[in-house]
This record gives sequence, structure tokens and C-alpha cells, in this order.
Amino acid sequence: MAELIRPGERDEDRHDRTRLITWVDMDKVSSSNVLVVGAGALGNEAVKDLALFGFRHVDVLDMDTVVRSNLSRCVLFREGDQSSGKGKAPLVAERARGLCPEIDIKAIEGKVQSLGPEDMKRYDMILGCLDNVAARLHLNANSYHAQVPYVDGGTDGFRGRVQAVVPPFSPCLQCGMNRSHFKVMERRFSCTGQDTVFYQPKMAAEITTTSIVAAVQVREAVKILSGRSAIANVMHYDGLAGTSEVFALDIDPGCSNHLSAKLS
Amino acid sequence: MVVRVRVRNAETGATVDMELEMENTVEEIIEGVSAYWEKDPGAYVIRKGRRLLRGQQKVQELDVQANEELELIPDPEGGNR
Repeated sequence: MAELIRPGERDEDRHDRTRLITWVDMDKVSSSNVLVVGAGALGNEAVKDLALFGFRHVDVLDMDTVVRSNLSRCVLFREGDQSSGKGKAPLVAERARGLCPEIDIKAIEGKVQSLGPEDMKRYDMILGCLDNVAARLHLNANSYHAQVPYVDGGTDGFRGRVQAVVPPFSPCLQCGMNRSHFKVMERRFSCTGQDTVFYQPKMAAEITTTSIVAAVQVREAVKILSGRSAIANVMHYDGLAGTSEVFALDIDPGCSNHLSAKLS
Repeated sequence: MVVRVRVRNAETGATVDMELEMENTVEEIIEGVSAYWEKDPGAYVIRKGRRLLRGQQKVQELDVQANEELELIPDPEGGNR
């Protein structure tokens, strides 16, 4: 018997146009478990893109609440959220459900340091939408040891970077770091004599670079989950020049993540 | 043995020539040019062509030619606030 079709039925499929990109594995996209760490500027954009793209199982982690200055670059936050007392993660989850009712999205209110390799193993993909070197190193090491692909994004004004880490083949974030990164990390922690305080400076940020960097993170996630090669290895974006370039990076033979992977 | 390279500041386009010993490291290049340009304290990387150099790499490992250009690029840290 011939297949039965109706006029206009393709337009009823939310993802019909995406399915025209033949290499995208929509079954894999919709069945994958994704962890987004950070529900701020990059996290908002990443979750928006994940929801619209067709991801259906997403956890989003953040420990923070909304302040009014977030509203210039967080597409899922609304005026008034800053006085609601709600955390960023639950707000992002709630608004993502508004974008796509089929999404199963869970908010986790906590620090990235609360997650270890066993937690990471529950995921097929991890997106780092963070704002400091220490949190990145934690996520990088734990996702590497759990052998889960990790796509990290970072911004500073009109500059951005994305690195895709696919264990065990690619270099990790730590492989590309040098003394300047560790000095930045040290400056974030100051000793008061009684306690160690984490100091977070206000960093330049705007929506256009945020959108681009988060979009590249989600696109890399789609590529990796669809069986395609990720960028090798680090994309640097310069919004003022209007350029982006992908640079190769070697595995650091002294990197503790790669050394311990060899030993285990 | 000494090799002279040119380092470009990706943020301003400015360049400076730098004389390097074979034992110098990429981290020392970053610190030298950051101090020269009085850069804000932040994370930076150096690229040689299409490759990012690792901080601990020594000049002798880089296959760097006389007057070759390296570039100092800021490595953005923000994104969540």
C-alpha cells in the first residue's frame, strides 16, 4: 500500500528543516543527556539553542541568583527575576520548557565542585559556561576522567573562545593553560587571615559575542554526538575584526589528566 | 644561540622584536611582552601560525625561524555573569 501524506504535514514537524541537514543525528540529539554548567550569559544562550535544536534531556547547574545587570545578555531572564529570589538554574529550566514543552530539563542549584567523575558519567555531553579558571579546571578534569566530551566556552568583551575536548584523543583545557592562567586563578583567591575568599571581578560582556560563543558550543556538541569531528582544537573569535580562527593544540605530556589516564 | 622573533599584540596590532635563547619558554615570552605592553593581568596564549604553543615549551622545541612572527592572544575567562 502506498504511503499516505497530507499537504503541509512537514510544517507540523518542529524539526523538519533541521532534518534536511542529513548528517545531523536527531535521534542521538534527542536521546542524549547533556549537562550545562553555568546558567548565566553563556548558559542562557546554550540552553536556548539546545532546546530549540531538539535536545530533550538537559540538566543545568548554577549556584547563583539573577541580578539586573544579567538582563542585557540573558535571553531567558525577565525584568523582575532579580527580585524573585529564584536561582538562575530553575529560571533557565522553567523558560526552556516554555520554548519547548517536550524538553526534560532539571535545575541543579549548587557548585560545580560538588560534581565528581561518577556524576559526569551520567551524561553524553558537558557544556562549560563558566567564568573562572578554577571551575573550568574542575569540570575539565572530571569530564576527562569520566571520558565524556566537554565543550568549553569563554568570553571577554568582543573576544571569545571555544574548545572541544573529546577524551581520550584530544588535548584538554589544562594542556593549553600556562602560568598566566594560574596567576589569574591565584588572584581570584585571597586569604583574609581567617578564611579564603573567592574574588570575582566584573568582566566585560555583551550579548553578540555571548550568542556566537554559545552557538558554537552547541554546534560542536551536535557534531560530536552525530559522529563528526569536532574543531581541532580551539576556536578564537575576535568580534572587532569579525574573524574566527581554529588553532591546533598538542596534548601536554606533563598534563596531570593525561598522565593519570595513562596510568589507569 | 639566540633567535630574534617578532611578537604581535592581537588586541592592538602592535609588534615588538624579542631576542630569545633556546632555553627560554613560551611562558617567558608571554610574561616578557605582557610586561612590555603593560597588559592587564589576565590569561594569554601565544600562537605560531595555526598552532597554539604550550607554556612550558622551550624555544628549541618550537622550530622557530629568525624574524618569524608569533601572536599574543587574550584567552577569555568570562561567560557566566
